[in-house]
Amino acid sequence: MPRSGEASRGVGMPDLAIRTQALRKTYRTRRGKRVVAVQGLDLEVPVGGVHGFLGPNGSGKTTSIRMLLGLVRADAGTMMVFDQVVPEHLPDVVGRVGAIVESPKFFPTFSGRKNLELLADAIGAPRGRVGEVLEETSLGERGKDKFKTYSLGMKQRLAIAATLLKEPELLIFDEPTNGLDPAGIREIRETMRGLGEQGRTVLVSSHILAEVEQVADTVSIIGHGRLLASGTVAEVIGGSGRTTVKVAIDSPIDSPLGDPAAQREAATRILAAAGLTVRAEGNYLFVDGAEHPADVTRRLAQQELYVSELIPVRADLESVFLELTADEGLGGTR
Amino acid sequence: MIRLSGVELRRLVARRLTLIGVAGVLLITAIVLVATWNNARPESEDQRRQAQAQYEIAAKDWELHGAEYTKRCLEDYATMPDPKDPVEVYCQTNGPSIDQFLKPRAVFAEVMPEQLLGGSYLLVFAAFLIGASFVGAEFSSGSIGNWLTFEPRRMRVYGSKLLAAAIGMVPVAVVVYAMLLVGTFLIIDQVGITAGTTGKVWGDLTAQAGRGVLVTAVGAALGGVVGLLLRHTAAAIGVAMGYIVLVEGVFGGFLTKLQPWLVKLNFDAWIQHDATYYIDNCQPTSDGGYGCSTITKTLTFEHGAWYLAVVTVVLVALGAFVFSSRDIS
Repeated sequence: MPRSGEASRGVGMPDLAIRTQALRKTYRTRRGKRVVAVQGLDLEVPVGGVHGFLGPNGSGKTTSIRMLLGLVRADAGTMMVFDQVVPEHLPDVVGRVGAIVESPKFFPTFSGRKNLELLADAIGAPRGRVGEVLEETSLGERGKDKFKTYSLGMKQRLAIAATLLKEPELLIFDEPTNGLDPAGIREIRETMRGLGEQGRTVLVSSHILAEVEQVADTVSIIGHGRLLASGTVAEVIGGSGRTTVKVAIDSPIDSPLGDPAAQREAATRILAAAGLTVRAEGNYLFVDGAEHPADVTRRLAQQELYVSELIPVRADLESVFLELTADEGLGGTR
Repeated sequence: MIRLSGVELRRLVARRLTLIGVAGVLLITAIVLVATWNNARPESEDQRRQAQAQYEIAAKDWELHGAEYTKRCLEDYATMPDPKDPVEVYCQTNGPSIDQFLKPRAVFAEVMPEQLLGGSYLLVFAAFLIGASFVGAEFSSGSIGNWLTFEPRRMRVYGSKLLAAAIGMVPVAVVVYAMLLVGTFLIIDQVGITAGTTGKVWGDLTAQAGRGVLVTAVGAALGGVVGLLLRHTAAAIGVAMGYIVLVEGVFGGFLTKLQPWLVKLNFDAWIQHDATYYIDNCQPTSDGGYGCSTITKTLTFEHGAWYLAVVTVVLVALGAFVFSSRDIS
């Protein structure tokens, strides 16, 4: 069962930009072997803000996105975008959805502007919008250059510009920072954050946890094509059972409990007796399971053990991700 | 779909390969006209003197041995199995004439149909190439996936691409046929015979060119279909060349009776309004030997039209089915 920090919603509730249920896709390899890419994925992306779609390479992120966009057919399951069943009603909502799937692919011998003009004409967007989105993505000066001369970062920005032609309510970015340099990554991250703050819904798939953690309001973690966890970043981290407190003991050297090592041993016994999990690392104790850090100090003080440092250790998304994927045998570590 | 077709048409026109292809076709057409002028112009004084000398030698030979040649030819003809060409075709019974040694004067009404047929081959090949590249490049570059995120209705996308490829080649075909018709007429008017080019002749030639324009448009669309099926321009061209060399050349050459079911002959029948072809007729002879003759047959215009229509519909339907059901990766 996936962890979830979100209350389940009814089908078609309007506060979901995307909802999939029991989504399944299998591929047949050239040797005829059947490979399950997505197996029973239940995904919910709330309207507004940035939603991280996390999973290791090969976990089914891109396939899921392709199915949502009608590029790949699902074998089973249902998908809804803005309350419309897709791909059947994709034409009804495609104008509200902008997407970049994997690397940006345009006509290489046409200029960036020409590529956007063709897309604008195809969807009936005014030509003037092309100049605007080029400026918005800082490509105004390079618009006349051929797409094939663009750097990867510029290609990515052009792809974002293309999605903005529609003024979409939902933007889907699949691994948007792949191959970018640090400046490019930061730029894309800021763009995504900005779009989310404008009230748009941004679904960003990535296997780079730190990247998503910095921009996402909510996340879904998948592995082997299944949902492992979902909710706000805080909920997913909180739901991991890793609320940890780092503790240093600083009782007087003449304490009846003995030297610092003996004091740490005594503290371990006291906290363990209270049902907490304790492990020692150097001069510190790491205590899991305390509802409030103050519980630790109170229990120790009652036994004349005094805390000199008490640092709540915030579990990060990466540790949760590694824990979850380790559970699924996806190469993560506990 | 009209808007999409317009966008695709603009993309087709903006493509470098389209421009290179069209420039190449126009250049080859110009070269054909130069070659037409070169072939049609009268022989020089020196060539005329040589022809006269050759004629005099042949006339003298006929005077000495003509009766013997005729007798031997008639004997050979008698042993040939039926069906066979008329004896006048097989055996020469009159002596040589000077016209046989001089370059015949080009007649517009005779030259032009062949000229238009040659132009049709060029145009259809170029249209197929341009169409295959137009669609195949989208699949090899992956830009079709991006396109479908803007217009997910695949049949509209498919239709607009084929329609744009077809419509885009129409003006090219019209210009090329106009160049050939007008250019050849002007050339032969100077150095050959244009008298007798009646309204009916012009009508037939215009109809032939019109059928060529239509088949060029279809060729571009089918190039697009093959480009879509194979997802690469080079693969599409490879398949087309392989078909021409292996099926039409080798297979069609050995199994002459299958010619009515190959593309080229049906194409010729469509363009020329009927096409003749030849099959070998080999059978044992009365003296115990084995003799072969060539039989001339006609493939009708209607056969060609139906054949090309069925091939077109089948390929377009196949492309539609594959495109609608294919996962775009």
